[in-house]
Amino acid sequence: MSSPLEALTASLAEPAAGWLAASRARLAREGPGLLPVLFPALARRLGRDLLPAGLHRDGAMLVETGAWRRCDAAGLALAEDCAPDDASLVDLFLHGDMEERIIVLRALGLLPITDGTIRLLGEVQRTNIGVHFEAAVCESNLAVRALEHGGWNQEDLDRLVLKAAFLDVRLPRLFEVFDHVGAETSRMVQGLATEREAAGRDPWVDTNRVVARAPVDGSLERLRRGLADAREEQRLAAAEGVAYLRDAELLKLAAERIDHESSESIRSILAAAVTRA
Amino acid sequence: MRIFEPHAHMFSRITDDYEAMALSGVRAVLEPAFWLGQNRTHVGTFIDYFDTIIGWERFRSQQFGIHHFCTMALNPREANDDRVNDAVMEILPRYLEKDSVLGVGEIGLDDQTSKEEKYFIAQLELAVTHDLPVLIHTPHRDKVKGFARCIDILRDMGFPMERILLDHGNEETIRVTKDIGCVSGFSIYPGTKMSPTRMVKIVQEYGVDGMIINSACDWGVSDPLSVPKTVDKLLQAGVAESDVSKLVWDNPVNFFAQSGRLDVGSMDRPAARDLASTYEGNSVLRGQDPGSY
Ligand SMILES: [Zn+2]
Repeated sequence: MSSPLEALTASLAEPAAGWLAASRARLAREGPGLLPVLFPALARRLGRDLLPAGLHRDGAMLVETGAWRRCDAAGLALAEDCAPDDASLVDLFLHGDMEERIIVLRALGLLPITDGTIRLLGEVQRTNIGVHFEAAVCESNLAVRALEHGGWNQEDLDRLVLKAAFLDVRLPRLFEVFDHVGAETSRMVQGLATEREAAGRDPWVDTNRVVARAPVDGSLERLRRGLADAREEQRLAAAEGVAYLRDAELLKLAAERIDHESSESIRSILAAAVTRA
Repeated sequence: MRIFEPHAHMFSRITDDYEAMALSGVRAVLEPAFWLGQNRTHVGTFIDYFDTIIGWERFRSQQFGIHHFCTMALNPREANDDRVNDAVMEILPRYLEKDSVLGVGEIGLDDQTSKEEKYFIAQLELAVTHDLPVLIHTPHRDKVKGFARCIDILRDMGFPMERILLDHGNEETIRVTKDIGCVSGFSIYPGTKMSPTRMVKIVQEYGVDGMIINSACDWGVSDPLSVPKTVDKLLQAGVAESDVSKLVWDNPVNFFAQSGRLDVGSMDRPAARDLASTYEGNSVLRGQDPGSY
């Protein structure tokens, strides 16, 4: 599909188009020092209308533009135009309002990974603002790119997954992050689930999917309980986890559960897992 | 009655205030950047404060359904302080472009020094550059003279009077502001200055055209409910409901809509109330189950 900038150009009418053209010309003359004045005006000058949804790939960079608005694409265009250094990029985020922060984080998805990106991923990992977390890691493969780039490590990724759990963001939304979970990830999300259960709250729905990938102490017991959980979404996660893990004891239990399972989709997951055993 | 509270320093208030204001009909607040009770020693604390009133404070307000806006400025007191005045002027252009910033303010005169005048004029020029209306703090001491001086400066600059809100007015200043065509603000404080009862008399004598009322609540003895309380007194005294509504909604909304940044339609509903969300790691709910709200 077309790039966000092409989609933006196609959707802009006057006076927004003229404002953007004039701003890019000014930026070319004055340099990145102008960004702090241009960024806050993007939403009101260009609008918040959504661009067409779809996956856009540019080399190793992959973004899903379903939540991108005109102002986000324009922010990316301005950043690409003047290639701000890390200090300017981080400054735009730290002194931006909610909206500007979203624009900066979305743009990161289509910019090269730098120390500034790593710093901002750290900010995102510490924020509890759902829209900021999503803009950075649910709408592009930024987290995995950062991991492959090397400035970011498994420990950072574990913390990010834990934050997703804390914010109740579904893990499949974090692009390929699922493929990078390890034992430490399991230990952390399992700890959060136990804490929540003790407080009478629902555990993160992807807990059993994560712990099945890299089981730690208590994970098998958690999966076993999950198969008989009263909540259907928890049973579904446990069934998928058991099918992935292929532990003999759990598969035996799965076989016994089939007749008691009310959901047809969960029954078929269990049946397929048992048949393959 | 729906209320736009055009002068409240919520930064200094607690969540109970927000809750009571929302229950009393306050749908939107405007938070002018101001003096924090003691001078700041470097520009960094201004930056943090400005970031707070466009970020965290706005978020806090929205949790109670109250739309939050602000004005940005170097206040008159700290205009006298050479440790910060020029540096704040340098960072202002960036903040004056923020979406929730609907004006320049509060600027004006306090001790009525030459430095105050210098930065007052420089910030009026910023208002022209950024196409924003202006909220002017008039002195609490030697008010009549300070008021006249503000107006002289505005006249000399040829500043459009309809884009000026002269705040902290009283019975003496109302006659002047009526004549020159700027908006008159009245801060209703408990005990001192304007009381709701005094305000009723002013409305009965001068009507509500070109007037707004506010609580100017801050860290001092002040009442964030003074606008709703004045609304009650006005209605009790027989002032037409449409006039009262004009005073506490249409007038401030129309004044700040001159910024071109106020989406009036969005205020038909309370601000999005998302108690489950938290900001920058600080949970206002501190771990309570949002589902129980
Ligand atoms: Zn004030």
